[in-house]
Amino acid sequence: MPITVLQPQPAAKRQAAAMSVDSDSDSDSGGGAEVHGEDILTPGTVITSNSQWMRGHGTYVQPGETAITSSLAGTLTKTNKLLSVRPLRARYTPEIGDLVVGRIVEVQAKRWRVDVAASQLAILQISAINLPGGILRKRTETDELQIRSFFAEGDLVVAEVQQLHQDGAASLHTRSLKYGKLRNGVFVSVSGIGGGSGVVRAKRQVWTMDVANAGGKVDVLLGVNGYIWISKHIESDTNAEAVGINRMEESVSSKVYSSQNDPLELSTMREIARIRSVILALVENRLKVDEDMVTKGYSEAVELGRESPDDDLYLGGEKGQRLAAALTGH
Amino acid sequence: MASQQILFSPAELAYLHRSLSLKPPIRPDGRAPTQFRPLTAETGILPGTNGSARVHFSDGTEAIVGVKAEIEKTIEAPRAEESKPESNEAASERTRGDWLELAVEIPGQRDDEASTVFLSEMLREALLADKEFAKKLFINRRFHWRLYLDVLLISPPLSYPLPLLSLTTHLALLATRLPRLKSEGDEDPMFDDDWEASTFLYPQEGTATNGSRPPITLLVVAIGDNVIFDPAKEELAVAETALAVSVAEVRRAQKAGDMEVDSKGRELSLLSIRTIDPPSRLTPPGVPHTSNTGSSAFAPTKLQKAGDQETEGVWKAPLGGTKFGVLDGIIQAVLEKGGVADEVLDGLEGVELS
Repeated sequence: MPITVLQPQPAAKRQAAAMSVDSDSDSDSGGGAEVHGEDILTPGTVITSNSQWMRGHGTYVQPGETAITSSLAGTLTKTNKLLSVRPLRARYTPEIGDLVVGRIVEVQAKRWRVDVAASQLAILQISAINLPGGILRKRTETDELQIRSFFAEGDLVVAEVQQLHQDGAASLHTRSLKYGKLRNGVFVSVSGIGGGSGVVRAKRQVWTMDVANAGGKVDVLLGVNGYIWISKHIESDTNAEAVGINRMEESVSSKVYSSQNDPLELSTMREIARIRSVILALVENRLKVDEDMVTKGYSEAVELGRESPDDDLYLGGEKGQRLAAALTGH
Repeated sequence: MASQQILFSPAELAYLHRSLSLKPPIRPDGRAPTQFRPLTAETGILPGTNGSARVHFSDGTEAIVGVKAEIEKTIEAPRAEESKPESNEAASERTRGDWLELAVEIPGQRDDEASTVFLSEMLREALLADKEFAKKLFINRRFHWRLYLDVLLISPPLSYPLPLLSLTTHLALLATRLPRLKSEGDEDPMFDDDWEASTFLYPQEGTATNGSRPPITLLVVAIGDNVIFDPAKEELAVAETALAVSVAEVRRAQKAGDMEVDSKGRELSLLSIRTIDPPSRLTPPGVPHTSNTGSSAFAPTKLQKAGDQETEGVWKAPLGGTKFGVLDGIIQAVLEKGGVADEVLDGLEGVELS
């Protein structure tokens, strides 16, 4: 069946009534003293005018008033006496040290402009990259003239946020063997999803996993910005951690700026596609994407795939819901 | 941002192309070659229209279509003076395609942008292709219906929205109802106030079901020898050929003696085929390891001869036109009995019309 047409589902069941913060308030204010539970708040909605609550993220208090008002569209979360609004959708806000996957959108004289799903394009200076061969020297005019041989428009890079500017724009760097141009895999974007779904900051954003069906090893790179790269694991000759900055020139492969893929096996490509559909299914069902969820979801997906005769990879619609149900455990 | 260009790196394109030209292809989201994204559909969502529909793909793209009908005075053609007996032939002569106005709106794009105009023309062309459509708008010799079809994409265009818009338009037209005509002949038209008594533009059941049904336009891409339906953005980016194939079901009146209950016997007619310029042709080529000037700081910056030999794993934009065999294969896949168009129409028939 190539197509499934579903009936629209009624909106998720809400709590019957907005829950009251406490029983004895309300008398002094003409409404708005209740804290809405499951309802979606819009910017400007008065959450409460009761002074016992503290305002958290996503809320503000008008000068001269005491009512806590939502500044975002989202759902309310309460931590003890702290009220905050979790946005339904949110843009990535860069923080120093974040591992991000970005796409070069513009090449300028001495720098690249990189799309990292933030409100502004990030900047990657030519001085903030490794030169091929790991040579340590000043960037010359020759380098600037052949800037496109390092990164050109459309190229995907993995980088770290080095610095934040006044206006919120980020500067990136790729001065580590772990960073650089991305090859041998597929890209998937799950950016812009707030409310605890999508990629969340975790201990490990990059890991290598052994995949089923003789697929070998696959690298998964979850950019904090919601851009994800899934690729075949390539064994490097030297251990990246063991190499100090002094010996970099020996270990930086000449292939770092190449856009040629290594030979890929069919089984690896199938498993990469499976991991990609697991991530898409997680996002579709509003679950968070981190190492734990992806590895669990992957093994679940392998099981699901065994049910169909030709090992179906697609995890959209009903199958995705089954996967999500298996992961959340109800 | 002036124009949101879809960017892909050569390494990505090479990977996608390789995985999609395998047999069977591995699509990046794991679908089967003919599989569509699951969709949610409903009709009758806009109370102020004659017919409306909303379709929502699981990847988040969503479209709504509203159909609004208006009575318009037919401008008499000069030679229509001679009073001939009203025949079907004369009626079709007087009907015109411009009684249908179709507007497509894509968020973030101007409505006079070439791609948007092309999209709306493709949908319009498929609708008017069988010349049956305008006949449905004919009231009498002095008046006709003017139909406004507003096609709105309400999510950002995550992939080429043609199949989505076409399926939504199809459903909206199926759900379109016009008030029942009370007057007769060429007098000023009078209509029944009762909306319950209104008639469907495309009659549902009964004797009047013969004639054509609204068309659907499917987006089909060919990569290598594989034919892939409902391509996502990534798949379109490496496509060698992209075709928009419009088909419609033609229902013939069943003869009274024809007792054979053959519900499967759906007759499909091919209305139009348009080639869509796949974005893959504009992509920059990949750079192999050997000729990358960036791979060595002191490499001579001599101009590399544009080598015609293809290196494994390096992206090269497709060149040349579509081979006849590929074109034929696509049309076969669409039109065959139990093929994709058949299944899509089956699926859409399950949508409740309100």
